[in-house]
Amino acid sequence: MAGSNEVYANESRTVVPLNTRVLIHNFKVSYSMLRRQDGSFDRHLSEYLERKVPANAKPVHGVVSLDLLLDRSTNLLVRIYLPAPTVTGNELPQQALLSALQRPPSPNPFPVIIFFHGGSFAHSSINTTIYDILCRRFVTLCGGAVVISVNYRRSPEFRCPCAYDDGWTALKWASSQPWLRSGEDAKLRVFLAGDSSGGNIAHHVAVRAAESGIHISGNILLNPLFGGNERTESELELDGKYFVALGDRDWYWKAFLPEGADRDHPACNPFGPNGVKLDELPFPKSLLVVASLDLTKDWQLAYAEGLRNSGHEVNVIFREEATVGFYFLPNTNHYYEVMEEIRSFVNSN
Amino acid sequence: MKTEHLESCRGGGIDGFLPSKEKMMAMEETDAGMDEQLAALGYKVRASDMANVAQRLEQLDMAIGGSAAQDDALLSHLASDTVHYNPSDISNWLENMLSELNAPPIPAPTATHPKSISFDFPSENLSSSVPSPFDPDYCLRSDYQVEGRSRNRKRMRTSSSSSSTSRTAAPAIESIPAVVAATEVSSTNPLVVMVDSQEAGIRLVHALLACAEAVQQANYKAAEAILKQISILASSQAGAMRKVAGYFAEALARRIYCLHPTQDTFDSAFSDILEMHFYESFPYLKFAHFTANQAILEAFSGCRRVHVIDFGIKQGMQWPALMQALALRPGGPPSFRLTGIGPPSPDNSNALQQVGWKLAQLADTIHVNFEYRGLVANNLVDIEPFMLESDESEAVAINSVFELHNLLARPGAIEILLSTVRSLRPRIMTVVEQEANHNAGSFLERFTESLHYYSTMFDSLEWVAGGEGQQDQVMSEVFLGRQICNVVACEGPERTERHETLAQWRLRMNGAGMRPVNLGSNAFKQASMLLALFAGGDGYRVEENEGCLTLGWHTRPLIATSAWCVAGAGESG
Repeated sequence: MAGSNEVYANESRTVVPLNTRVLIHNFKVSYSMLRRQDGSFDRHLSEYLERKVPANAKPVHGVVSLDLLLDRSTNLLVRIYLPAPTVTGNELPQQALLSALQRPPSPNPFPVIIFFHGGSFAHSSINTTIYDILCRRFVTLCGGAVVISVNYRRSPEFRCPCAYDDGWTALKWASSQPWLRSGEDAKLRVFLAGDSSGGNIAHHVAVRAAESGIHISGNILLNPLFGGNERTESELELDGKYFVALGDRDWYWKAFLPEGADRDHPACNPFGPNGVKLDELPFPKSLLVVASLDLTKDWQLAYAEGLRNSGHEVNVIFREEATVGFYFLPNTNHYYEVMEEIRSFVNSN
Repeated sequence: MKTEHLESCRGGGIDGFLPSKEKMMAMEETDAGMDEQLAALGYKVRASDMANVAQRLEQLDMAIGGSAAQDDALLSHLASDTVHYNPSDISNWLENMLSELNAPPIPAPTATHPKSISFDFPSENLSSSVPSPFDPDYCLRSDYQVEGRSRNRKRMRTSSSSSSTSRTAAPAIESIPAVVAATEVSSTNPLVVMVDSQEAGIRLVHALLACAEAVQQANYKAAEAILKQISILASSQAGAMRKVAGYFAEALARRIYCLHPTQDTFDSAFSDILEMHFYESFPYLKFAHFTANQAILEAFSGCRRVHVIDFGIKQGMQWPALMQALALRPGGPPSFRLTGIGPPSPDNSNALQQVGWKLAQLADTIHVNFEYRGLVANNLVDIEPFMLESDESEAVAINSVFELHNLLARPGAIEILLSTVRSLRPRIMTVVEQEANHNAGSFLERFTESLHYYSTMFDSLEWVAGGEGQQDQVMSEVFLGRQICNVVACEGPERTERHETLAQWRLRMNGAGMRPVNLGSNAFKQASMLLALFAGGDGYRVEENEGCLTLGWHTRPLIATSAWCVAGAGESG
């Protein structure tokens, strides 16, 4: 639709910094080449185009990382980020890092953030550079958090609930690690976080945790991906503007949800007609970031409503004139203020 | 661990890392004029180019988002038929895409194009009737072989030249002392650690590192004591970790007791046999050959007389596939000359000639005009240009698979060799090397790096089909074990396994007057698909690294293929 494209082009120019525009637009255009009409996905081209970065046991801005294989049957990898451990004597960074994995619970409390990257369930990995950078920022932002980025299985090759299962596996693993416990009570002070599809995964893993008695200190959802059969006002109004089109959203849901399911499936629409009641569950507090120019914002606000109606606390940070992906580059007020909200949320919980 | 890990983040660390708000709107630029924020995310776009790139993205978006009916054909063309190069260079990638949209579509391959090189694998597993891409019967796909079409040439030229312009951050061509170059880069090379989450494995690694540390400090009593602990810890381990620990422990013992492995002439023949088993069940060598051959094939496009110089011919396993692809080239094969370089045979068996003879037989059956010359050399640095007898009318490709790093054992050798390479004016030089830094730094650093590298490599060997696969696994472990021994127990000219990373090789090649030739998405896709044929399947990953391709196990790249030509040479496609 040429008309809406023209409008979109003009509008995004005024609200998004130039290099952010290039970044997100580049994703939009290249992603459109990967989705096929028949529902299949050009995985090889997708992997080719993604920019990746290896883990690094050498401190970069005070943060080190390593990759850990949690489950051979599903090839489940996580990338662990932590503050650079102090090196004793002539010890190498790798030695210090391995020591850190074996240390007993620390008396001083620190947060553990299990992070699920975005990509609409189909794109990106733990070693995708945009997410590696983001996770590193979280470590320093939260005063020395340990961040665990989960390489969940992606659609369309692996549909719902594979991604949720992988998130659950990572959470259980984290619960079993003495070195991740801290404070006088030697507890796991864990937050579940994610952007886009990662936010959706964080919600569902939190539900499972609540059902299983694992305490989650808080959920941090950045533009989480939710939807439903109904077309909301924001979806219709913002369709095709600001980098995202409804048709794309539909494609990703179709690729992720079980065959034959529609968008009122509870994975997509947790407070919809097929939703699970959360009223009785010890569901964690949530920090929900919504961008006003994200066409799925109505679903995110509905999600917040659903949480409140179930008696659960949610702090909605609504960013006027923010688009998707504002948190990838430190070049707007949105970036800094949202980071501050996250820091504050983690510190106070 | 106590308070330190929190404290270290409260200090200058945070403020230094998160830029102040005052800076936030400013476009931060590197020396080369690249936008620093995008560079941190893996994209190289000049700040001065940003608006132009943004505009062309809009152009591309609008062209793609045209009427729904055209959508699929256009997108399909861009995804399936178009070769992409170096996605980090958004500007050039865009130019490539836009020129694809403006050009008329490429007609389907003609009926005479043999079906056996069709590459449309079904999404399910391959049926056994489809020939394995690594059989001599199989050929490289030559879909890019529309060499008569100037557009392809232009695209390659464009990508090559822009990669050289975006390379302005690289050192001047004239000279960078190789040692300085290596140390500059080693400070920025990531230390890659990929571990199995098993706790016992972590303790074993820890003990090995502690032993190496003791050795470095010449505290041999302590080292011996730790070695004993290691064998106890290792025996309770299963699989890869136990075997790797065994090789590293043995190498440490050799170092402690000054038992130097002998480098006698039997080694090369035995080594070849071990390598062939490694070749059979695991994709590393096949990936190396495949990606190098793809680049050579593209470089030879349109040439009637071609000459490949192989710096390490061994059993010549790389060449049947290339010869097959040349045979099937539209317009007929070029005349193909191969110079195979190798060490002297221990028993006057003239192994080099035998390899050539076998290849000549193949050439005969596929009707390729073939000429072979074996060149015996103890060391590559002894090769002088006149020995290669190349003339101006032939297109030259130089192929080096796991050979260059050996030269780093002698100061000055690599520079001499690269200068010889330059004087041959090759259209392309393909280089495959281990993606690891096993050369710079202290003994402990080298030990640690190689421990993580070979642990990952050995882990990938565990996924092998039974029967012959088991034998291949054992031989492969011995093959790699010899490398481990060399890295850990040897020093000076004897230590030939001096692996360096892609970043380090880039500096050396640029310093020697070579510039990169990008490997494209076609090579990437085909290499990726071929990995599915191996038992490890999903664990193997191909990655694109600014024009180069790496093959790794999970998130750890293990080998890297790059291609080069002489900088400043005429852009003659």
